Parts: sequence; structure tokens; C-alpha cells
Amino acid sequence: MSLTMTLVGVNHRTAPLEVRERFAHGAHEVPGALGRVLAAGASGGVLLSTCNRTEFYLSDAAETALDAVWSLLGERLGDGREARPYGYLRRDRDAARQLYRVAAGLDSMILGESQIQGQVRDAWELSRGLAGAVLHRLFQSALHVGARVRTETAIGRGAASAPSAAVALAGKIFGELRGRRALILGAGDMAELAAACLVDAGVQVTIVANRTVERARAVADRLGAGAAAQTLDDAWEHFAVADIVIASTAAPHAVVTWARIAPAVARRDGRPLCILDLAVPRDVEPAVGQLENVFLYDLDDLQAVAGQGSAERRAEIPRAEQIVEEEVASFWNWHDTLAVVPVLKEFRGRMEAVRAAELERVFKQLRHLSAEDRDRLARFSESLLNKFLHEPTLALKREAEAGDGYLLVEALRKLFHLEREE
Amino acid sequence: MPSYLHFIALALYGAAAALALAPFAGRRAVPRGLLLAVPSAGAAFHVAGLTQLPSVGLAFALSLLAFFIVCLQIVSERLLRVSAVALFTAPLAAGLVGLALLLGLAPGAAPAAGRNVWLVLHVALSVLGLALLALAFIAAALYLLQFRELKAKRFGQVFQVFPPLERLDQLNRSALVAGFPALTLGVLLAIGYAVRFAGGFRVDPAQVVWGLFTWAVLGAAVWLRVGRRWTGRRAAVLSIAGFSAVLLVYLALKLASPGSERFL
Repeated sequence: MSLTMTLVGVNHRTAPLEVRERFAHGAHEVPGALGRVLAAGASGGVLLSTCNRTEFYLSDAAETALDAVWSLLGERLGDGREARPYGYLRRDRDAARQLYRVAAGLDSMILGESQIQGQVRDAWELSRGLAGAVLHRLFQSALHVGARVRTETAIGRGAASAPSAAVALAGKIFGELRGRRALILGAGDMAELAAACLVDAGVQVTIVANRTVERARAVADRLGAGAAAQTLDDAWEHFAVADIVIASTAAPHAVVTWARIAPAVARRDGRPLCILDLAVPRDVEPAVGQLENVFLYDLDDLQAVAGQGSAERRAEIPRAEQIVEEEVASFWNWHDTLAVVPVLKEFRGRMEAVRAAELERVFKQLRHLSAEDRDRLARFSESLLNKFLHEPTLALKREAEAGDGYLLVEALRKLFHLEREE
Repeated sequence: MPSYLHFIALALYGAAAALALAPFAGRRAVPRGLLLAVPSAGAAFHVAGLTQLPSVGLAFALSLLAFFIVCLQIVSERLLRVSAVALFTAPLAAGLVGLALLLGLAPGAAPAAGRNVWLVLHVALSVLGLALLALAFIAAALYLLQFRELKAKRFGQVFQVFPPLERLDQLNRSALVAGFPALTLGVLLAIGYAVRFAGGFRVDPAQVVWGLFTWAVLGAAVWLRVGRRWTGRRAAVLSIAGFSAVLLVYLALKLASPGSERFL
């Protein structure tokens, strides 16, 4: 039995935002994408898709499954472009290490940020039915690693989020934010978090819903502080008066375009406008940043800002990496024991068959034995077999946990002519 | 004695410049208290030196300009927290004091004939107006640098150390708006002095031309900023153009009338 683990992924280190945003999978797309990859030859899979990464964790994946991932991602790039140059492949321990580092915030743009922990949990929940035992255990332990790193080190202390970085960036343009006006496009969690940060800074916020104004109204009610709600159609004129615009809709394409806002921006008399695009895929056409006195920032920019001043958090990296290594070793010990289990099972089955056959032969020779004696003899043989197998079984498990089980398993197979499962 | 005091002021302004530059040399940012204390100490020595000088002559004017620039730096920092202004003001003040020392500060020189409170106020207000124009220029230069960094999405030292754009815009506007009445009063005092004490003090025509030109530039800048509501990048470019024009006209007049011993 093969128990391989493979990770095929793309992240902020290997691909720019304009590529990552095409790879991003909405929750509704995950089952379809995973189903397609598993059908190509893998026993389990989890898809972790965030603004910074799209990673397929696969168990027992054949090469055809890996090809299916690249093909799927390539289709999202369009124009016949290859996804492979933007990605990476990790196997077994390296795959586990990568997930643990991700969950610990070590692989995040903002070192130690905690949002990723929730995203790993969401990915696991979303793919649970397709994950399989090994990945189930891997993701469960990744959450434990994330929690442990944040508890035992100061890596997450003072780490900023993208919305808080957005507020800091707006502060670099406007200084005092109190009394400023902000337009929030989108009524999702990220939009609400950003709006809350701005309200805390004394900004007058207007929430604009992409679809229904009721949702925007609900967010505005929760925020209080005079927050208002509007529809997207009425929002464009606000670009003439708003100081800050935060875009975080779930739209699959840019909603804020040059053509839509240029007339309103022209009426600003040179006052700066700060547009912060927190969405993936992006909500704001990059050309908007060319408008005079318009400062456009996307998620990569915000994360670059948020990642600054983290010298104290960076000093915690060695300790965090040490925890990750400990946990990878621990997971892999468990993983190794999985390889031993089927061999042991077969070995015991074989011994049991021998015992049953020998007992049967003895019973034929000793026909005078009463049912009670036969039963006693059967229990004796079982007990004897268990006693004979007890020490070898324990030794095998012990060696497997120590990472040295392979040789013993091979010896067992050869000695007892056990079948090799692949 | 005044030279000695000026040397101390020069050293402290130099130290203030070094402190302001520290973040750009990879050093940790200096505490704000120190950024205020060092130039304040320099200004204290400086004013002590200035009080012992006759209030005429190019060296005195340069020294007074340096003093006002440092005072404006301290006030700006206290009111608007714009530490990066010291990146320009501190070296500028140090340079002006150094130049004044090279030109020769003359302690105990006999006061010029016709020197009175009108003249002293005229000189002080005119130089203050000029210092405010220089501050507006510095704020505008910082604005354009920060603007460029923000537009280019570069989040390096300039982004971190320089103040927010709108604060720089506010500083630029305040400096222009405060500078115009100061210079206007300086010009009016000069006219009043000329009328009341005609013949009491020799005046270079070039000095009058430059003074009026500077006043006109400052007036135009204030009109565009306040009357036409120019803000942001456009206003910053305007301030830089105005200050550059004042400087160029000064140099042109200086070259045209060599040997002048007063302002020009």
C-alpha cells in the first residue's frame, strides 16, 4: 500500500497577483475542482485557496492527477498559458511541512498573521468529504501547529491584517482620518472588517452592496456611527467626494473601471483619492491608478506595508520553524505507522490461518475431545499465537514510529511471503 | 562672542541634520524629544549671538534667516509632527550660519546710521516672510517626493519617515498664508521708513526690486492657494516654482550688482 502525499500549489512567492487572482477558487468551485483532480488518480484531496495561495493537497496521487491540477489551473489562466511555471510541487514530508508553515503564518506575506488559520480550517471543512484519512489528520494537526506556534512564540504579536494596513496606508496620505469619508464596495467579511477599522478611526463610512442593498444596510447597522448603505449604481458619483474607497466584492471581474469613475475624479480639484482593493480577483482596473491624484493599492501592496516593522516577529522565526519540524516529525511517525498496519494485518491473518488449519488437523486426530476441551484448546492456541506475535508487533510499531519501520516490514514480507500492496 | 555662539549653533544644527538623516542611514529613528531639543538648543545659542550683532548686512540677514528657519522647523514639528522637514531645514540652517560666519559676523560694529525700530522690524518681518517661503518650498519638495513614492508603491524609508501628504500640503499652505502678511508688513515698513526717514539709509534699487518681486510671488501663490483653492501636487509645484524664481532673481540681481554689502 502506497501512502504518498503531494502538494501542487501556487503562492505569492511564485506568482504575481494578476496570476493568483485567476487561480483563486470560490467555495462553490472547490468540490468540482477537487472531484476532477481525484477522478484523474488520487485517493484524497484538500484545496486551500486564499488570496495568497492556491494549493492542492493530494494523497496517493498519480502523475495524471498532478497533470490534472496543472491543466485545471492553466485553463483559468486562459490563452493557452501554462500554469506550471508559476507553481511548485512538494512531496510527503515537504508537503506536510509546507501546510504547517502556512498554518503557522510563516509562509504568509504578513508574517504571523492569524487569518490564515481560519482559512486552513475552512479549506479542511470544505473538502472534508474528499480529504481521506491522511489529509484529514494532516489538516487537523496543521491547525494544532498553527495554534502552538502562536502560543509558544511571539510571531503573531502585533501582526497587522490587510484591512488594518489599508487604514495605515490611507493615514500616510491623509494623516488624520477623523471626519474623512469612505466608500466600501462590498458587504462581505473583509469589507466589514475594513469598514470597522475605518469607523474606529473616525471615518464616515458608506457601504455599497454589489447585489442587494439589504445586505449593505445590515452591515451599516452593525457598524453604527452613522454608516450608510447604497447600491452600486449610485456609488460612482461618490468618487467625487469620498477620500477613501475600499473595494472588496466577490465579483469575478473589475467593477471599478476608468470609464466609470474618471468623470467623478475630475471634479475633485486635485484632492487625493485613496483606493484600496482588497479583493481577489481584483475589483479595480489597474488603469485607475493612472488617474491624477488617485492612489491605488492592491492586496500585495497592503501586505507589503503590513509586513514592515516586523523585526521582533522575524526574530521568532527559528523557534517557530523548530516547532514546525517537531510536528512534521510527529506527523510522519504517525504516517509511517500507517504503512505498517496493513502488513501487520496480513501477517496476523496469515498466522491466524495457520493456527486455524493446525487446530482443525489436531481436532481430526483427537476426535474423542469434548466440546469443552476443544474450546479450551482453541483458546490456548489463540493465546499462544497472541503471545508469540505480541513482541514482534510492538517492535514493528516502535520502529515505524521511530521512522525505521521500512526494513522490518520488508523483512517480514520476505520471511513470510506476504503480498506487496501498491 | 557672537561668532563663538554662532559656532555652537552651527554644530547643533549640524547635529540636528544628522539626527534627521539617521533613518536613511539604516539607523533607528531618533526620539521626537531629541529632534526638538537639539535644534531648540541651537536656536537658543543662535538668538544669543544675534542679539549682539547690528541688524544690518548680508551676514546678519543670512544668520537671521537661518534662525527663523530653525524656529519654524521647531514650531512645525510641535504642531504638525513633521520631523522630516528637518531633513531640509537643519542642513539649510547650518549652511546659512556657516556662510554668515564666512562672510564675517561683526560683533560690536558700530550701528549703521539711520538704524531704528522701523528698520529692525522691516528686516525681521521680511526675513521671516522669506523663511516661510523657504518652509513652503521644503514642504512642497517633501510632498512631491512622498507623492512619487506613494504613486510608485514604494514603501521604503521615504514612505515611512516622511509625513502624510495632506499634512505636508497643510504645512505648505500655512507657510504661504503666514508668509504673505509678514512680507507685506515688511514691505510696508520699508515704504514707511523711506517716507519718514528719507535719506537716513542707503537702499540698493536691486534690493527693492527683489523684495517686491518676492512679495508678488508670495502674493500670487497665496491667491492661487486660497482664492483658487489649489491643493496637492499642483500647489506643491507652484511653491517650488515660486521659490525657485525668487532664488533665481536674487542670483541674477546679485550678479548684476556685484559688491553690494547689504541684502544682496
